[in-house]
Amino acid sequence: MTGRRLAAWLGLVALVSLPAWVRDSFFLNAMIHVFLFGAAAQAWNLVGGYAGQISFGHAAFFGVGAYTTAWLLSRQGVSPWVGLWVGAALATLLSLLIGYPTFRLRRHFFALATLALAEIARISFLNWEAVGAAIGLYLPLHYRNRFEYLMWDTKPPYYWVSLGVLALATAVVWVVDRHRAGRYLRAVEQDEDAAEMIGIPTRRYKLYAMGLSAGLTAVAGAVYALYVLYIDPYNVLASRISLLVVVIALIGGRGTVWGPVVGAPFIVLLNEYTRAWLGGRAAGVDFILFGLLVILVSLYRPRGLVGLLARPSGPLQPAVAGAGQDPPEVAPAAPGGDVVLRVVGLQKAFGGVQAVRGVDLEVRRGEILGLVGPNGAGKSTLFDCLTGFLRPDRGYAAVDGVGVLNQAPHRVAWVGLARTFQNLRVFPELSVWDNVLCGAEHHREGLWEATVREVPAAVQEEARELLRLFHLWEHRYRPAGELSYGQQKLLSLAMAVLRRPKVVLLDEPAAGVNPALVDEIGRLIRTLNQSGLTFVVIEHNMEFVVRTCHRIAFMAEGQVVTVGTPQEVQQDPRVLERYYGR
Amino acid sequence: MDLVWQAAVSGAVLGLVYALVALGLSLIWGVMDVVNLAHAEYLMLAMYSTYWLWALGRVDPGWAVPVVVPAFFGLGWLTYQLLVRRIVRAPLAAQIFATFGLLFVLRYGAFAAFGPNVYGVWRPGEGTVVVLGVPVASSKVAAAGVSVAAFALLAAFLRYTKTGKALQAAAQSREVALALGIPVDRMYALAWGIGIASVALAGVLLIPFYQVSPTIGDAFLLLAFASVVLGGFGRVDGALVGGLCIGLLENLLGTLVSPTFKFLFVFAAFVAMLLVRPQGLLGDVGR
Repeated sequence: MTGRRLAAWLGLVALVSLPAWVRDSFFLNAMIHVFLFGAAAQAWNLVGGYAGQISFGHAAFFGVGAYTTAWLLSRQGVSPWVGLWVGAALATLLSLLIGYPTFRLRRHFFALATLALAEIARISFLNWEAVGAAIGLYLPLHYRNRFEYLMWDTKPPYYWVSLGVLALATAVVWVVDRHRAGRYLRAVEQDEDAAEMIGIPTRRYKLYAMGLSAGLTAVAGAVYALYVLYIDPYNVLASRISLLVVVIALIGGRGTVWGPVVGAPFIVLLNEYTRAWLGGRAAGVDFILFGLLVILVSLYRPRGLVGLLARPSGPLQPAVAGAGQDPPEVAPAAPGGDVVLRVVGLQKAFGGVQAVRGVDLEVRRGEILGLVGPNGAGKSTLFDCLTGFLRPDRGYAAVDGVGVLNQAPHRVAWVGLARTFQNLRVFPELSVWDNVLCGAEHHREGLWEATVREVPAAVQEEARELLRLFHLWEHRYRPAGELSYGQQKLLSLAMAVLRRPKVVLLDEPAAGVNPALVDEIGRLIRTLNQSGLTFVVIEHNMEFVVRTCHRIAFMAEGQVVTVGTPQEVQQDPRVLERYYGR
Repeated sequence: MDLVWQAAVSGAVLGLVYALVALGLSLIWGVMDVVNLAHAEYLMLAMYSTYWLWALGRVDPGWAVPVVVPAFFGLGWLTYQLLVRRIVRAPLAAQIFATFGLLFVLRYGAFAAFGPNVYGVWRPGEGTVVVLGVPVASSKVAAAGVSVAAFALLAAFLRYTKTGKALQAAAQSREVALALGIPVDRMYALAWGIGIASVALAGVLLIPFYQVSPTIGDAFLLLAFASVVLGGFGRVDGALVGGLCIGLLENLLGTLVSPTFKFLFVFAAFVAMLLVRPQGLLGDVGR
């Protein structure tokens, strides 16, 4: 450990002192490009790697940074020290204006929109007389060799400034990666719906990543302008820049702190030196290689060069939680609480099919309510309506008097409703520990707090206890995707209950797992219930429901037919007729 | 007024070629939900192929159709078998990056092979045809006519042949089609064959009046995306309507306002469409 740290420090010292003993100006020029495009790639990494929103238009932010600084200096005489940050602020503003509407778009559409927006920016600057149009802007040379103007005759100062920009971008990504924000961004990348459901305001985090990314890209663009001393739409707004930063981050390893740092020297040096060695005729040969590498990354999906260097995790311990243990019978507590979740006259139709036709339901504080009924009875649709994934046509639902319908899922989560999904919804590439911590309370969690602070120690302690209770503690560093199906089900339950919501909706918690684990899940639900949590459980396994729940609501054809104790419902003739066909 | 009418006619002619570029993109997108970022690179390659047939073999672009189009059908098929087949069910990011990498390989492959220079087919003494009172170069009229014919042929294929129906079934649901015994994998390969063949046809039609260079894919990719999104993706008629709209928009606004901003209008319309009605003019709301 100390050996590695020593090597890192020596490497850093060597990097910083490089211009002192290397005088080759071609090499220094190449390194300045490495740092600046590496910084832009690092910035792209925030939004394209961590948040998974692929932008093909980062040249626009690079260009805005370059143009703002160059224009302020050449036309207004404003120092680049100011212009740099004005450019960053403008780029951030622009990115938020773009991101706010386009982040509603899912799938490929965001990438297509960024492609078009970068082109729009290029055409606009190409025809904008105030910034020199196609002629571009020359930076005034009489400011050279003064630190307050960030312009010099020689390359070493630019080398250090550019290295500083890369260090800044990397530090920002490092801070984000190490704290809550990075975890949430990766959750958004992997499963946006699941992230919403545990209360992460996904659009806010996407905008956060986009704004930060645009600002940092603009800083790199500004320093680039000061270095090349002449800018026009062809050198700072070219689609080539957008593509280059994507390639650097991808081949280095997107969604990792060191990916762009490793990718930049690889890509940029190869690019600069092939151009020098092979001449203009063979320009682009290296890009064929980059294209092939990108294809390989997309096919085999390592996290780039960094991912290849990372050590693989050890073999999975086969421990199925609770297997072989005799689950102690927990007597269902007598529920005598007030109504915590009230649903009145809820209706939802899909085209001509009335999936939910007027559901009335009262869930009492402290109880476990089973929701049973044949397939197509509308149980999952009811959950979807309650948690903001569907807009009901009519009706009312409230948790402790606060309405929950027609709101974004994360708002529903903030009110105190949690939910697990029928099909698994854990974040497969996040560790078990990170998965659980994603379930922390997000209401009133500021972006700044999420960036610089870890989850409070008390919450971490609760997460630890939950994982121990769920027999997942020993797997805490493992990616959730490596767990068995049953363990992933347990994990999604742990994520839902960490913030102690007022009501937890479970959609088929026992489906598809082995009998020993079914017992275990039932025991866990009862244990959590005894600690004060309220559950509504959709489940087809009648034995499980009868043993676990205090009351059962029977749904058929979009309505709640009857509610009562397990014994009452089991003997109800309407239930027998509809469920068992008797 | 005369000028406007002239712009409208030549915009419509250009729009029909855009539509043909968009057709393949839309077909592949609709059938397997993969957006081919390298689509316009095939256009560029087809233009080079036609150019070299003309420059070296003295083959008129008109006669290049039976050579270039089947060859690109094969190329599309091969692209599917070698690359796309492996990412059909991969996460979205992997799909985007796979065709993104392909874009690099094809574009810079052309750069390495042909250099950055611009090439065009020069046919002296080419006549003009009067269309709706406007004289238009005969090669452009031919391009528009062939494009319409290609659309009609594909629509008939999808509607009236068994294979065409199977292709539509595979597009609607992979699982159901598989359960019915439709060879979905082969249908996907067919979609790539047809998609790349149609963009190659557009390339052959374009080269008599549009010069080729390794980077023309940039503009055409966005124009094709704009056409697909405007018309509604995954629909044959959507590509036609979208392409026509884009051609008209570009030429009319280019004439009325300023030619330098013509693409700006097109791309702005594209982004606005994405935001307001991403399913396109002809698309269903439920999509």
